[in-house]
Amino acid sequence: MVLQLHVWGPAFGLPSIEAHCLATIAYCSVALPKGSWEVVASSDPSVSPTGELPALQNGAVWVSRFRNIVDYLRQYSNGAWDLDQQLDDTCRADNIAFSSFIESRGQSLVDLYLYVTSQNYYRNTSPAYGSLLQWPNQWILPPQLHSAAKDRTEHLGLSSLDLQAMEDQRQRDHNAAVAAGKIPKNLIQRPRDTVSSLLGRTAQQNHFRIEALTGEFFEPLEAMLGRKAYLLAADADDTPSSIDCVALGYLSLALVPEMAFPWLRDAMRAKAPLLAEYTERMRQRCFGEAPVDIAHVFSPESAPESPLTWRAPARISVAAVGSTLLSTLADSTPFLREIRRNNSLKKAAQSEDAGLNYMEKNMANIITDSSKKDMLVSIAAVVGGFAALVGYAVHTGILSREEDEEEEDVEVMYNPGTVADMLASGK
Amino acid sequence: MPPTPSEGQTKASSPGGASSFFTVPPPIKKLFDKFPLATYPANDLPQRSPTRQHENQLFVFSNAAAARRGRPSFNPQCLKWQAYLKFVGIDFEVTPSNNHASPTGSLPFLIPAQPVEIADAIPSHKLQKWAIEQVHCEEEQQLNLRFEVYASLLDHRIRNAWLYMLYLNDHNFEAVAQRLYVEPATSNTIVRTALAVQLKQAARDELLRTSKYIDVADLEGDAVNAFEALSSLLGDDDHFFGRPNPGLFDASVFAYTHLILDEGMGWKQNRLAPLLREHQNLVQHREKLLRFFA
Repeated sequence: MVLQLHVWGPAFGLPSIEAHCLATIAYCSVALPKGSWEVVASSDPSVSPTGELPALQNGAVWVSRFRNIVDYLRQYSNGAWDLDQQLDDTCRADNIAFSSFIESRGQSLVDLYLYVTSQNYYRNTSPAYGSLLQWPNQWILPPQLHSAAKDRTEHLGLSSLDLQAMEDQRQRDHNAAVAAGKIPKNLIQRPRDTVSSLLGRTAQQNHFRIEALTGEFFEPLEAMLGRKAYLLAADADDTPSSIDCVALGYLSLALVPEMAFPWLRDAMRAKAPLLAEYTERMRQRCFGEAPVDIAHVFSPESAPESPLTWRAPARISVAAVGSTLLSTLADSTPFLREIRRNNSLKKAAQSEDAGLNYMEKNMANIITDSSKKDMLVSIAAVVGGFAALVGYAVHTGILSREEDEEEEDVEVMYNPGTVADMLASGK
Repeated sequence: MPPTPSEGQTKASSPGGASSFFTVPPPIKKLFDKFPLATYPANDLPQRSPTRQHENQLFVFSNAAAARRGRPSFNPQCLKWQAYLKFVGIDFEVTPSNNHASPTGSLPFLIPAQPVEIADAIPSHKLQKWAIEQVHCEEEQQLNLRFEVYASLLDHRIRNAWLYMLYLNDHNFEAVAQRLYVEPATSNTIVRTALAVQLKQAARDELLRTSKYIDVADLEGDAVNAFEALSSLLGDDDHFFGRPNPGLFDASVFAYTHLILDEGMGWKQNRLAPLLREHQNLVQHREKLLRFFA
C-alpha cells in the first residue's frame, strides 16, 4: 500500500507553499523508505475529510496535522518509521518545547513575510497561488488565506507592513471628513496625518519591531544548533529528528523564496548564518538538490530523479467545484458562517479517530448544540426586531412616502461633498 | 506642525464672530448672573475607593474576601504576576478589579505607592521591568536561552487546553467561569447571557485562529506533551533552571498548575488534573510555591 500525502502545492522552488506541509514532506522523506509513499499536490483542503492539509491517506484512513501524522506513521510501522526514538528525556523535552516555539513564532513571521507584507503578497505569493491552484479555487482560497494570516498577526501591531490596510484607513479618514462636512467647522478634530508622514514614522517603528521579533526567533535556534549537524544531534553520525523537519518547514520559507521585500531572509542571514547554512543542507537532503519545478509536479513522468515521488492530483470534479462554491457562499453569509463554525467542532468530536469516549463526545455535542441554540435565539431576535420595525413603519405611514424623500436625500448628499472638497484643497 | 496654526486661527476668529452674532440681551444676562443659586460641596469618594495608599496596589481578577487575605487570583495571567511579585519579595495589596478598570483594557496592572507624583498604572508587560528596578532581581530571560522556548509551551499549548477546559466545556463554564467572571460583573440576566456568549465566542475564535477546527483530543495531547517537557526541564530541582529562588518562569508554571489542581475552583470535568498529577515534581513544585500565599 502506497501512502499518499496530500499537501498544498509547490512554490518558490520548494515542494509546498505551506510550512506544515513542508515539515511533513521532510519528515516522510527522511523517515519513510522511497517508494512507500508519494506526494500529491492537491492544494485543496476539501479532498480530506478533516478539511485540513497536510493529510495522509492510507486507503480509507485519513490523518491530518503534522503531529498526528508522525504518531500515525509510528503506529502503522510498529515503531520503525520514527525519527525520535533515540532521544533521551532531555532531548524529548527540548523536542516538544522547540517545536512549540518554532510553530508559534515561526508562523507569525512567515505570515508577516508572505502574506501581510503587501509587496511580497501581491508580487510573489499571490501569483504563486495562481499557478498551483485549480479553477475556481485560485479565486477563492488566496483571499481567505490572506485574511486569515492578517488575523493571526494582528496582535503584533505590524499592520503598517500592509499597504492595503493603510490605504483603507486613509479612505475611512477621508469618508469621516466628508461626513464631518455636516458638523460645524470648529468641532472637527485636527487633520489626520498624511500617508507619507505615517509611512515615514512607522517605517522606523516597524524596523525596531521586526528586529526584535526576528532576533527573538533566530537567536535561541542559532544557539541551540551551534556547530552541530542537527538541532538535537549529540554526535556527527546522528540522524535528524522531528524537530529538524518542523524547523525546515518554517526556515526554508524564510530563506528560499525570492521576495520583493526580503526582510526575513536578510535578518536570517545576518543573525543566524549557521542556521541559514543548516537550512540549505536540510533542504537538499529532504527535497533534493534541484529546486522543485511546478511542471514536474503535475506531470510526474517527465520529472528528473529526486527524493520525492510525485503523483498528479486528480482533476477537480464538477461536484467538488459545486461544493466549494456553496461552502464559500455559506462562509460569507453571516449566520450560516456561525453554524458552520460550530459544526467544525462537532465533526471533530464525532469522527472516529478523535479518541474520545462516549461521554465526552456526548458532551461536545451538547456544547455545539447549545451554542447553536444561542444563535437561533439571536436570529429570532433580529428577525422579530426587524418585523416590528417594518410593522411600525407601515403603521405610521412612513413607507408610503418613499419617493419624495429620495429626492431630498440627493440634495442633502450633494452639499457635504462640496464642503469636503473645500476642506481637502485647504489642507 | 499643521495643528498649531489651525488652533491659533480658531482662537483668533471665534471671539470676533461671537460678538457680532451672540450678544446676550441684558434681561437674560441679568437672570443668568444669579446662577448658580447654591454651590454644594464636592461629593466624597465612594467608601470602597482606596484612600491614598501606602502600599503598592495590584489589580487582579479576584473576589473581596480572597483579595483581603492575599489568596491567589483565579485568572492565570493575573496569578502569574501576583506570584512573581511575591517571589521577588515586593509587598503589595491585592484589589479585586475587572478589565474595564484597566488603562490597557486587561488585567493585571499595578499602581505603585511611592513616589506619589509619578504614581502611574503599570500594565502587566512592564511589571517585570518595574520589579527589577525596585529590588534589583535578575532578568531571567537573559540567563537561559531555553526560557523563551519553554515559555512558548505555557503561552500556547497549555493555554489553549486551558481555554477549552474553562470556556468551551459547558459544564465547567457554568460551574466555574460563570461564577467567577460573569456573575460578579452584573446582576442583570440579559447582560449575563450576553457576556457569557461573548466569552465563549472569544475563546472559540482564539482556538480557531491557529487551526481549522477544534480537536479536543489534540488540545489535550498537546497539554500532555507540554507537561512532560516541563517536568523534564524541572527534573529534581526545587525551581526551574536550578535557581535558588523561584522566579518568573516558576510563577508562569505555577499560575496554571495551581489553578488546574486547586480544589476550590469547583471544576466539573477536569481532564488536565490527572494528566498533570502524572508528573509528581510539578505537583510538588506547586505545593511548595503555594506556601508563599499562606
